[in-house]
Amino acid sequence: TGAAAQEDFTLRFNHVLGPNEPFHQGFLQWAENVEKRTDGHLTIDVFHSAQLGVEEDIIEQIRQGANIGQNTDAARLGNYVPGISVINGPYFIESMADVDKLNDAATMQAWQQQLADDYGLQVVCFDWVQGKRHFFTNQEIHAPADLKGVRVRTPPAPIWQESIRALGAAPVAMDFGDVYSGLQSRAIDGAELVYPNITAGGLGEVLDYTIETGHITLVNFQVVSASWFAGLPEEYQRILVEECRTAGQEASRRMEAAASEAKAQLQEDGMTVITDIDREAFRKAGEQAYEALGLSDAKQRLAEEIGK
Amino acid sequence: MLIVTLAFFVLMVIGMPVAFAIGISGALFFLQQPALPFTIPVQRTVSQTQNFALLAIPLFIMAGSLANRSGITQRLLALASVITGRLRGGLAQVTIALSAMMGGVSGSAIADAAMQSRMLGGEMLRRNLARGFATAILGFSALITPIVPPGIGMVLFGSVGQVSVGRLFAGGIVPALLLWLAFSLTVSLIARRRGYPPERSSRLPRGEAGKALRGGIWALLFPVLLLVGLRSGVFTPSEIGAFAVAYVALVGFLVHREMNARSGAEAIEASLADVGAVMLLIALSAIFSYGIVMERLPEAISGAIVGQTQSLIGVELLILAFVLVIGFFVDATVLIIMLAPIFLPVVQNLDGDPVHFGIVFIVAATIGNFTPPVGAAMYAVCTIMKCPVEEYTRGAVPFFIAAVAVIVLLVLVPEIVLFLPDAIFGR
Amino acid sequence: MHALVRAGIRAETWAAGILLVAMVALVLLGGVARFLHVPLNWTIDMATCAFAWATFLCADIAWRRGALMSVDLFTRTLPVRAQRGLLLFNYLLIALFLVFLVVAGFWLSWTSWARSFRGIPWISYSWVTLSLPVGGVLMLITTGFKVRRQLRAEPFASEGGDTPC
Ligand code: NA
Ligand code: NA
Repeated sequence: TGAAAQEDFTLRFNHVLGPNEPFHQGFLQWAENVEKRTDGHLTIDVFHSAQLGVEEDIIEQIRQGANIGQNTDAARLGNYVPGISVINGPYFIESMADVDKLNDAATMQAWQQQLADDYGLQVVCFDWVQGKRHFFTNQEIHAPADLKGVRVRTPPAPIWQESIRALGAAPVAMDFGDVYSGLQSRAIDGAELVYPNITAGGLGEVLDYTIETGHITLVNFQVVSASWFAGLPEEYQRILVEECRTAGQEASRRMEAAASEAKAQLQEDGMTVITDIDREAFRKAGEQAYEALGLSDAKQRLAEEIGK
Repeated sequence: MLIVTLAFFVLMVIGMPVAFAIGISGALFFLQQPALPFTIPVQRTVSQTQNFALLAIPLFIMAGSLANRSGITQRLLALASVITGRLRGGLAQVTIALSAMMGGVSGSAIADAAMQSRMLGGEMLRRNLARGFATAILGFSALITPIVPPGIGMVLFGSVGQVSVGRLFAGGIVPALLLWLAFSLTVSLIARRRGYPPERSSRLPRGEAGKALRGGIWALLFPVLLLVGLRSGVFTPSEIGAFAVAYVALVGFLVHREMNARSGAEAIEASLADVGAVMLLIALSAIFSYGIVMERLPEAISGAIVGQTQSLIGVELLILAFVLVIGFFVDATVLIIMLAPIFLPVVQNLDGDPVHFGIVFIVAATIGNFTPPVGAAMYAVCTIMKCPVEEYTRGAVPFFIAAVAVIVLLVLVPEIVLFLPDAIFGR
Repeated sequence: MHALVRAGIRAETWAAGILLVAMVALVLLGGVARFLHVPLNWTIDMATCAFAWATFLCADIAWRRGALMSVDLFTRTLPVRAQRGLLLFNYLLIALFLVFLVVAGFWLSWTSWARSFRGIPWISYSWVTLSLPVGGVLMLITTGFKVRRQLRAEPFASEGGDTPC
């Protein structure tokens, strides 16, 4: 490697997922590859289960220039550059191929530039697809109308809640730690998550039905401080990004496999998976979320750029 | 972290309030880390107050304060004296029983200990129980709460270690009863040695008992109704403190008619300082734990334990001893998140059962909340009971030993934990 | 004590009490609404916001009333003059720490104004962050009064406050 490689750099990377999640292994892989290619001059120290702090706090630390990174989502980045949250909207991004095209979309690049210039947040890559979110409930659901009055736990952010409301359910903001007992006691009627979340949290014990709506494809972003990133030798910047993408794509594939495994496991344990749903009705209902959030224009522009 | 620890001890020795001693020494870590923003201590302190699970703590302190003015405490005491009147150290037995019952309700050891200190503490001192003894049992009895379902510690362990939460819930029940028994025996022994007299030497007339039971019905219904509300999905574990406050106030206003707006306001006013003292300590301790987590201290030391022995029982005992020691300085939540993913695979490789290990691990980690020099639950009860830490510590030794004895028993005989989950869910 | 100070203390006490009662009311309302299948998610948001402010107002009340506990195992064996010296030294350290919290707190509130409160676009998280520096200012004032009382008190009288037993 190059001559610039005198100084040593460390990135402390925080994420909220558990140590057994495929993404944690992916982050470790990323760290290993980067360390190898920089001869140990750029090391990434990965912390699982939000050990360094809650996501929003870490993002603020990153904005202040700390050598810390965070795995986050479009909804949270949308707090700074609102357009980005369309990626988290219902029935928009639906595959890893979509994400790949997103990388080259001019609008997406402009948003990332704005995040870096105005808010000090450097997106390293966003090739980390956690997979499709479905509804997990204790009653049969086939169409948006069936979700009326069904209390579904969603992450506590307006963009999520608006999406879930648009799809017909009554969103409940609740800490993930309360979900198990909330479902057990029927304080909530369901949750909307990806398959591996259900097996990881043991939620299959308190849930009967999976409604395979696939309403949101959860795309994760790896974010570091823009000023810290700018201080890296260009070669290291390139390595950091390349390895982020490679590790992310691999982790996404593993996540896909993990989802099928989790699904099979859940079915074996008695979960009923409902696939005969009115997909068109769900899609149409989802559109209302973009209108309610004032994101219709942003969505349309991005959709054209990625050819959807 | 050496400087931080050293500074903490020096500040404690020169009589600095513990909350500030923790905050100031924790902030020293950031002086050594110029790359980190200097605002992190502020951010972490504030962040503690945005944790919905911690919101139960001020609410339960308020509930305890209101119970004293709404007539619930007095009736509970009257009833307790009927039931435990012939036992030595009766009120100490009451707080153990109440924790076992309230455990399934509050799920938070700190909230439970704080509320009961408010309700029962004053009366225990009036009945001449030594302050250190009373404070220690008010604290340690709350060790039962996190393993009575639905304890948040079990949910945490379940998700970090990918262990069935339902099995953990079921697995906690018998160990909780065992802890109750161990603490109860310890109280009896101490009370006998110290000559705490029973409240009565003879049987009560039948009418008295009936009267106390009728009077105490609303106090008795308190944990029962909260549990019903929880199980029927009216509210979640994090919300339960608010319902406790509402129940206690409503009974005071409408049923006992002993409370009015004025005395209600007085009860809240009386709880403000306790809320402030307990929450300031918990908020500032987030500064302290940051360095421990970032430098991965527990993880670093734990490497030395793994591989010391190939016997399952030997490894488990080593791990738990290590957790107890680290627990002197580190909060239970941090321990569970950091160490469960390291130790669980080790135990599983030796064919240990994850549910069994989870329960003993949670108990061992939670003990850390009750041991000096850093322990949120300990400082909460000491603050409310106005008890010096050294007096508490002397009082706590027997209960610490009792808890450790239970842990050792559970390690040696895993079936105590496992037979209930096996019976419910199959093997 | 000046009437102004007394009025300030009264206002602080009332504010803290009202915040705690508001937390109870909001959490109750949220639970009942969810039970009736019409969840209101802003109740949790408002309750946690009130929690931050209640915490740091109550912290000042606790500091003033001497409810913060400390270990006096060693200090109580010292001669009275040394005890007072240590107490004043502690007050100085606490004041420095509080100044740090206040400065860093206001600075953080100012610079991270763009951070939204629980994802609500029109409310800044800085409204929560501000609770700490504001509480810090109040605790600084309280510390000032404690120092003044120590300097004036002749002969040395333990406040009974910082060492609860
Ligand atoms: Na108790
Ligand atoms: Na401890």
